[in-house]
Amino acid sequence: MKQLIELNVNGQTRDVVARATDTLLDVLRDGLGLTGAKRGCDLGACGACTVLADGRPVNACLVLAFEAVGSEIVTIEGLKGAGGLHPVQQAFVEAGAVQCGFCTPGQVLAVAALLAECPDPDEARIREALSGNVCRCTGYVKVLDAVRNAVRGAKGSA
Amino acid sequence: MGDAIEYCAPEGLEGVVRALAERPGAGVLLAGGTGLVPALKRGLLRAERLVSVRALRSHRDAARTPDGGLSVGAFATLREVASSTAVRAVSPALAEAAQQTASPALRNRATLGGNVCLDARCWYYDQSERWRASRAPCLKAGGERCYANQREKRCVALFSADTPAALIACGARARLRGPGGERTLPLESLYSGDGLAPLAKQSDEIVTEIELPASAPRSGSAYEKWRERDSIEFPVVGAAAWLRLGAGDEVAEARIALTGVHSGPLRLGELESSLASRPVPDAGDRDLHERVGRSLGRLYLAEAVPHKRHIAGVCVAAALSRAAAHAVRSAP
Repeated sequence: MKQLIELNVNGQTRDVVARATDTLLDVLRDGLGLTGAKRGCDLGACGACTVLADGRPVNACLVLAFEAVGSEIVTIEGLKGAGGLHPVQQAFVEAGAVQCGFCTPGQVLAVAALLAECPDPDEARIREALSGNVCRCTGYVKVLDAVRNAVRGAKGSA
Repeated sequence: MGDAIEYCAPEGLEGVVRALAERPGAGVLLAGGTGLVPALKRGLLRAERLVSVRALRSHRDAARTPDGGLSVGAFATLREVASSTAVRAVSPALAEAAQQTASPALRNRATLGGNVCLDARCWYYDQSERWRASRAPCLKAGGERCYANQREKRCVALFSADTPAALIACGARARLRGPGGERTLPLESLYSGDGLAPLAKQSDEIVTEIELPASAPRSGSAYEKWRERDSIEFPVVGAAAWLRLGAGDEVAEARIALTGVHSGPLRLGELESSLASRPVPDAGDRDLHERVGRSLGRLYLAEAVPHKRHIAGVCVAAALSRAAAHAVRSAP
């Protein structure tokens, strides 16, 4: 069963043809060419496919495309700051928090969602927010540094 | 996943029930999808129609009932359950179990009803079709052998959902709706204990609501989870304890339920009785650890049985100790 569906992705309405069993990740990557969300485990166990649905992180590999109709989807391509990069992206660059980069879009979106909800999270909350995003380069130290820097930066500019 | 599968999202609960009943054995309920989609990808579930609850406005909230209890819609997400002040007030164990399930992104989608209805899991079953094709199907996949324990003639898949243990310890009941109407039953009765078909309900019956009784004075609950890492993983053992304290701070009544040890949640009835009228055990009570380990009955796993018994003991003692602390804090 194929059907034309309308998705709201990165603030734009996009028409895609999807089967009932196509996931949001399938249509983002293969239908819309948005390859920032990565296909890792494809089972919800790595977080590489994380996107935001109505502001909250979800595993795009487990959300059926039909189920995403009506939600505001934000992928890493749609995350923007005033001067270009989103403050979380800028903090990742400055802290050297990127190794191979495969997990980075998911981590950045998970942190962006956290800071949108809680601008001054404690260490436990930061770790919790990142706990579904696995980095197989094992580079968590600089990722945590980046998040702390992003929090400090947001406080400084407040 | 196949081209032929249909999708529908009826607007009311009646429509959902009807859409499932129209395709007996071939219609599957789609709530959060975090268990269903992997099962479809792995070819573990043969569905012809996915019946989504996304258009339902009801059965998504946790609310106090007039008698001081709690009613939680089966389609509330685990994030909503974990963060609900009503849930935390009536059942700290449920909030803790929901909070410790999976990862934040999964909890944003996964529902309480989905967790309650989670299939039993096994290393030899929860694999891709290609992986499983390397040998004859196991018992759970319709074959004749159990690879997890080749000495057993039964499926030894483990029930590993977190929230049911907490709910059973807190005395929950499940409300079900099907083509034949509605019924409620103690949540414990929803589980068959059979790894092949762990849910004792019809395939076209859906869990719509979980009901918890009002907290008794000087009662509390807690959930302890032991897993291989502190995120995403299912429990090696999960233990929930509920207890009520007597006037002298002794245990007046206790209920204990475990997950991750059998093909369904496990109540420790005899152990519960033995705790009555005695002081609240300490989390480090080694005698209790051993008694819990012995009270699990026969475990059907091929390996790691002493390990599992020990962890169960440690988790139960810790859960009892924290449940007592909740009880003291809740005292009027």
